[in-house]
Amino acid sequence: MQYSQVDAEAKAVARKFDIVIIASTFLALVGGFHVHQMLVAGDWSFWIDWKDRNWWPIVAPILEITFPAATQAVLWTRFRMPIGATICCLGLLFGEWMNRYINFWGWTHYPLNMVFPETFFPAAVVLDVVLMLTGNWVVTALIGGELWGWLFYPTNWVMIAPFHVPVEYQGSLMSVADVINYMYVRTSTPEYLRIVETGTMRSFAGGVTGVAAFFSAFVSVCMYVPWWLMGAHFFGSTKFFKTYDAATADVRHS
Amino acid sequence: MLQTETTTTGVGLPEKSAFSWRKVGVFFGALTVFYLLINVYLRLFAFSKGLDYTSQDYSTYWMGMLLTEFVVEAITAAALWGWLWITRDRALDRLTPAEELTRYWAWAAIVLSYAFSVYVGASFFTEQDGTWHNTVVRDTDFTPSHIVEFYLTFPIYIIFGVASLIYAMTRLPQFATRISLPYVILIGSPIMIMPNIGLNEFGHTRWFMEELFVAPLHWGFAFFGWGGLAIFGVGLQACPRIMALIHHVYYGKPILSASEVLKDPTGTCDPACCYPASEA
Repeated sequence: MQYSQVDAEAKAVARKFDIVIIASTFLALVGGFHVHQMLVAGDWSFWIDWKDRNWWPIVAPILEITFPAATQAVLWTRFRMPIGATICCLGLLFGEWMNRYINFWGWTHYPLNMVFPETFFPAAVVLDVVLMLTGNWVVTALIGGELWGWLFYPTNWVMIAPFHVPVEYQGSLMSVADVINYMYVRTSTPEYLRIVETGTMRSFAGGVTGVAAFFSAFVSVCMYVPWWLMGAHFFGSTKFFKTYDAATADVRHS
Repeated sequence: MLQTETTTTGVGLPEKSAFSWRKVGVFFGALTVFYLLINVYLRLFAFSKGLDYTSQDYSTYWMGMLLTEFVVEAITAAALWGWLWITRDRALDRLTPAEELTRYWAWAAIVLSYAFSVYVGASFFTEQDGTWHNTVVRDTDFTPSHIVEFYLTFPIYIIFGVASLIYAMTRLPQFATRISLPYVILIGSPIMIMPNIGLNEFGHTRWFMEELFVAPLHWGFAFFGWGGLAIFGVGLQACPRIMALIHHVYYGKPILSASEVLKDPTGTCDPACCYPASEA
């Protein structure tokens, strides 16, 4: 066989492995990240009337910087691939949209206007670019993590703003989001269950979103560090444990 | 170390057909069709037969399905795991590199099936349950959505996950004599999602009646979901060996023999092996 043929065959085999391994990694990330996101921040993601200016922009960024940090730790340090955060957020959005469209809307008929998910794409691209440009994960934690929290509300605002237009409904002031919640009946999610801003005697009305964004940015920095370390040293570890038999044999030989 | 050792086994090119997409396609296609049919079943019978646990229809269409699932899953798991174990390679130390490479391709197909099943179970059908909770006021722990999510899709990825581990430990020298830490996390965490259903059902019955997804009764699932990240570690263990095999089989580069890998699998995890053959 000619060398060039062998070379082509080798490259084809390597390419096939690339595709299967990348596909497996992507699907495992979608499963893991989505189940994590759904069960720690899901309620704010499901419903338009949960997307408030206090709790949603705190909970979502803090709990969704986790998988991106861990994925960056492996993809950047081992392969110099600056796409760790973006591929996670792509996977999450894929998993969410498959559900919102096929199930929430397609099966149980909640309108998509009510159940569209939040996006982290812009913040994820920024996080990846900060890591790529600085090449330093501590700087990425400090600057990228901070931007991750700040960018969340502005980059989602274009989607939710239309639902914050006020309406007078049966004599009460409501937002369009509230009216949607009122109209489309959810059997197990009563209004009182919503964890949204209700006002306090110590808050200054105009500053809620900014304060929430700064706080979530600060905690995102703190979350980035342990998740990077877990990604690099635990989930991305290549350690093998000896079996009982092998360990016993070693002791005998020594 | 890799540079100084040479193999004693013969070099033969594997058949091109050994790396066909057919293996991958059969697994992936069969699973896709199966899950589509399950979705069709839900669409057809969840609203029409699945709203009243005390009805005769419910017993027929849903509890009947649950029992069928249990039986089929037990048989499938026993048959698949048993077959993989009985047909194990008893002379792994004499494995040729060409054969080892083709086995990695079969293994990759099983891992892909596992990852796809994890996606379907943990993402698709889990969030689907979220919308069903908001559509009915449930009268049983065995809702149509739970019968599909907990007792069908979760066992399926457990079956594939354990099968992939048994395949690796009985056919690939790298995983045969040592327990891989990331592999245990990758397979073990999702398995632990199954027992966590106990906490979930207890919580929904006695603790949080409403559907608050972020309630603590759900956090166990999130914790075990993190295990999906361990696919990176498994990949980092397998990829250097796969690349070393390709370099050896097609370009004649030196490689650790199967018996050497059995003795020290950690030595095969050097990421330097991943560079293209021209640079290595």
